[in-house]
Amino acid sequence: MPVPENMHAPAEMAECAANWTPVPLLEEIKEHGRVWGDLADQYGVTNPDPPWKTSLDGMCEVLASGSCSSMAAAEKRWLAGDVVREAMDAPLPLLERRWEEDELSATLYQDVPFPERQLLALTHSLIKRGLVDPDVLKTKMKEVHERLTAT
Amino acid sequence: MSQHDRTHHARIATGKGDPQCFAGTAGGPSKFKVGDRVRIKDMPDIFYTRCQVYTRGAVGEVAVVTHESPAPEDEAWGHVDKSEWFYIVRFKQTDLWPEYPAAFAKDTLQTEFSERWLEAV
Amino acid sequence: MSHDHDHDHGHNASAPMVDEISDFEALEIAVREICIEKGLFSAEDHRKFTEFAEHIGPTPAARMVAKAWLDPEYKKLVLTDAIAASKDVGVDYLNPTGFGTPSDYTDLRVLEDTPTVHHVVVCTLCSCYPRPILGFQPEWYRTPNYRRRIVRWPRQVLAEFGLTLPAEVDVRVEDSNQKCRFIVMPVRPAGTEGWTEDQLTEIVTRDCLIGVALPKPGVTSNLELPVHRAAKPAHH
Repeated sequence: MPVPENMHAPAEMAECAANWTPVPLLEEIKEHGRVWGDLADQYGVTNPDPPWKTSLDGMCEVLASGSCSSMAAAEKRWLAGDVVREAMDAPLPLLERRWEEDELSATLYQDVPFPERQLLALTHSLIKRGLVDPDVLKTKMKEVHERLTAT
Repeated sequence: MSQHDRTHHARIATGKGDPQCFAGTAGGPSKFKVGDRVRIKDMPDIFYTRCQVYTRGAVGEVAVVTHESPAPEDEAWGHVDKSEWFYIVRFKQTDLWPEYPAAFAKDTLQTEFSERWLEAV
Repeated sequence: MSHDHDHDHGHNASAPMVDEISDFEALEIAVREICIEKGLFSAEDHRKFTEFAEHIGPTPAARMVAKAWLDPEYKKLVLTDAIAASKDVGVDYLNPTGFGTPSDYTDLRVLEDTPTVHHVVVCTLCSCYPRPILGFQPEWYRTPNYRRRIVRWPRQVLAEFGLTLPAEVDVRVEDSNQKCRFIVMPVRPAGTEGWTEDQLTEIVTRDCLIGVALPKPGVTSNLELPVHRAAKPAHH
């Protein structure tokens, strides 16, 4: 698909470019979390993607819209160069997420492989918007880990 | 599993399917019938089994008599000359897991066993 | 070890899985659950989008269920000889190899839901799955997370898929650990009166056939979703 000339981030997004403050919890996961490549090697697994990858994709999609038709309409307008913020009342509109993911992938998370960095970038975007609180997240991760390893 | 002879499997199952190719090889009718109460024996499984640990010792009810086939404990080593009847057994979840919520006492779990794992209750 | 075949006869039966919960896996679940708790989306909506992300179209198994809903005689065949019934939806378990492939075993069973019993399928030992009629397993079906927990905490796991069943519906877990393979035949939902086989087939999504979702009018596996392209794509 050809990329239209006028495809660029709106000005209010560009202003945030310098605002990538590291989040301590995400830095810790970045430093110590085991990425899929390592795990797959250790366990002899050949799947190119971790099992949570499609769930992550599903989460990005569902955050971008409550309905498919409005997403399609938003994208059509966007491709036509008509970026209308009010049309994007989703918790995390797809254009903003993709732009932030690209920026974060080139900066804070440039050393993290894909799709781990997609997940870190999404989390970062949600924290930045106040939709996810890092302390709540930390507690939740502990709880999830305990639930998934319960015997 | 490079040591396993897959051509053997293809040879016996072609045109019939597996487990259909073992029909009539258990040496008689099934020992249990639908509705029978059975206990899962707790036998050692030193090499290979497909009988889950979580069912050992539990009592359930035969839900389906499925087919005849060599037991996986034998078939895994290429021994296919002796077959057994297989059964889908239904357990109450509260009989498998002590902490299963009593509010859902009618929840069930089904899984399959070869005859050697079952004893009449 | 081969990956095109889910159940070898050897003792190392399944393709290997990562038996470790990484920080990233926990992070993905934790973020998702916080969003659900905050009401940003529902678990069920998330499941639908995930199913879409896995590119699942209508399967022959969906057509089998739709036909059975419409034709009581065919339904009898489905419930007594699903291998024979498969031929009516274009699947011959004995072809092309003559002995059943890609899953060697040819004892297919259809689990009929009723208004008071709901079935859900798992293979706790590896990832046995009726591939000839249902395609490849979703990744989550192969995870130790699903395999370990669905047998013991089925209602909790189903709720994570967005399916909360009322107490008067009994949950029946089917652990597919031998040569039988299973699909679930859900109850035909209200609001589908007068529908054609094609219409019904579309709402019987893969997840409904495993038992982690229920069919609903308007919810199909082949939603039209746009492709979102990154301005600066991340390289994989």
